[in-house]
This record gives sequence, C-alpha cells and structure tokens, in this order.
Amino acid sequence: MKLAELPKNLIISHLKHWGLKLKIGAFNVCIYSPIDTVSEHLLVLYGDYDIVNDNDFIDFHTVVKSPSIIRRYFRPQVNFSFDGYFPFKPLPYTQASAMFEWGLNWCIANHSHQYLVIHAAVVERNGKAFIFPGNPGSGKSTLCAALVCNGWRLLSDELTLVSVVDGLVYPAPRPISLKNKSIEVIRALSPDAVIGSVVNNTAKGAIGHVRPPTESVKLASVPAMPAKLIFPKFLDGSKTILATLSKSRALLKLVENCFNYNILGVNGFNCVSDLVNDSDCFNLEYSSLNETLLLLTDLSD
Amino acid sequence: MNGEISIELPMDGKISCRFYLDECVIYNQFSAETHLIGGVGAEIFNVISKKSITRNQLLNYIRNIFIVEMDCDLETHMDNLLQEYQDLGLLVVSMNYSA
Repeated sequence: MKLAELPKNLIISHLKHWGLKLKIGAFNVCIYSPIDTVSEHLLVLYGDYDIVNDNDFIDFHTVVKSPSIIRRYFRPQVNFSFDGYFPFKPLPYTQASAMFEWGLNWCIANHSHQYLVIHAAVVERNGKAFIFPGNPGSGKSTLCAALVCNGWRLLSDELTLVSVVDGLVYPAPRPISLKNKSIEVIRALSPDAVIGSVVNNTAKGAIGHVRPPTESVKLASVPAMPAKLIFPKFLDGSKTILATLSKSRALLKLVENCFNYNILGVNGFNCVSDLVNDSDCFNLEYSSLNETLLLLTDLSD
Repeated sequence: MNGEISIELPMDGKISCRFYLDECVIYNQFSAETHLIGGVGAEIFNVISKKSITRNQLLNYIRNIFIVEMDCDLETHMDNLLQEYQDLGLLVVSMNYSA
C-alpha cells in the first residue's frame, strides 16, 4: 500500500503515536513526529512510497520532535534522533522537515557500509547511471532536479550507494533538496514539478524539496550500471565545458567525496577503482541548464 | 660475499595498485592512505607489482624509458623515490647476500 492511499488523519495518527513506516529504496524507515510541518512534508512528497508491513525489519527508527515542552512554545526548537541518539544540535522548530531529511541522510551515510556511500547525485537514462559527486554549491542537486524533470530516473540527489558486492548503483530516491535560487530555477524550468514548503533561514539558506517522480519511486529496487562519473561545477556565466578527466585523478577526487571509504578499507579502494574503470570520467563546468541537459542527454544516447 | 639490493612490494599483500596510463594509484591498508603516483614512481610500481627486482635491474629498466640530460640525476631521483616509498611502507628495499 502507498502512503497516498492512507487517509490523512491515519497518517498523522501513525506519526504521532506509533511511527509511520516507509520503504525508501533499500531501507525501511520508521518516522515518529508530532510536528505538523513534518506530516505535511511527508504527505506532499512521499505519497508514492510503500508502507512497510508491521513485522518487517526497520533499518532506521527516527524521531523528529521538540526537545521539551518548554521548547515547543518558548523559542521553539526541534531535535532529530536515531535509535535514541541525537547526532545534531536542535534547530529552530520551523526547520523540522529539513531536519528530517538531513537526519535521514546522516543515518544512511553512517550506517550503510554494505555500500560505498558517495556524496553524489545519481540519475539514470537508457540503462546508464550518471554519477555527479560534488561538495555543497557544486550544483549537483540542481542539475539532478533538471534531469529528473526531463524524464531521467532519480536514484538519489545526495547519496550514491554503490554495492561493494556487485558494483551496481542501488537507488534510494528521495525528495531533491534545492537551495535558494535553484528553487526558482527549477520552478521556471519545470512548472509541473511539485516542490514542498520552502524552509527559510536554515544554515544553507532557503531549502525546498522536489517530489521524486512516481516512476523513480516505483523502480526503487532496481539497481543501475554505472556509466559516467561527472564532477560538476556551477560557475555563473561560464560556457558549458565537459572535459575528460584521467581515471587516476577521478579516483582520487571520488575518494574525497566518499563518506565511508576509510571504513571499508581495501574493499572501499577496490570498489572505487572498479567504479572508475567502469565509467567515463569528466569534469563539467556549466551555467546554462538547458545546454547541459542537451549535452548530457546526447551522452546518454 | 656479494650483496644485491632487492626491491619488492611488502609480502603481506597490504598494498594494492591500480595502473592508469602513466600514473598509478596505490592503497596502503596499514595507513589507510591512497597515493597518486606518476612518472618514474609509477614505473617502479609497474615493475615490482609483477616481480621483485634488483636495484640495478630497475635502474636499467628506468633508463630505457626515461631519457634525461644527466644520467646521475635519474639514478639519484630513483633512489630518493625508493627511500620515500619505503618510508611510506609502500615497498621493501633489502640487501640479498650470495656466496
């Protein structure tokens, strides 16, 4: 059963009392939150996700709520916890939905060592996975949103999961996080894109999340073959330049963008080098999304 | 009794190498460090990843690949690299004695 098939009051009730259990890619996530903005966020953006059966194993038990009753009313704050552990300091109450997304990123990045976890967006077209590693501000999420709005399959906008066993990229499609100007850029590029409530004044500025396409959520258990490894860099006013990157340099750049490379040891090295061997590697400088979309679409044909 | 300097990868298999054109990337399981190595260094690892070799054999091999103005520069450069890689635990330099 999909989340959207449940009555709204039942969803809210689950969130407040027993936890709402969703299947997100390879992970079963239980979310407990009495906060209205979190339930609204889930209703708008997670409607296509399957509800997990009661007896199924839960990978991540998460809670998003106020640290205390006082903090619900006086300078209201919100906390994220995972199995009773609080990885972050509290944030303003209005940032609860963004905190849920960041918290879930943290859970996956720190507890999924069956995968090499790369700080990268990943999309797929014609059976080819394009991986875009990059630091915040590199434009990877904007590029990812633009591609997904143009029919590419979303695997993830933030965490690329490469199996250390078979080298395939496993999806964990979730709402695409856009920041500041990117929100309006994607609205203009794709007026049909569903963007949840914008959360203002976060540490990263204004944050809006794009609902993942239904088809991408439906294919969330289907892995993809890595094909292109592209390091994007948004440079205002720049031409679109796709330059071949040597595999040795790509390997080192990729290592810098992995969350658990050191934890995986030699398995991490083998996984990274196999990924580089299986992929064409590029640096991409861009400012025009339309030009870049055409270029990447050509590359995927 | 004559001595020969022998160069090889550590026998414990804790060094992994991947070769790409004229560069190689090496992972050291002991230090968990990843090294990008080019030029003469990449050739050294290209050779010793296949079999152990004496210093003189290695020098001859390197001389055939790299043409430099002063031959002693290459020899000094290679010895400096061998010392550096040994310090990093990436290879083993030892003296073999034969009667």
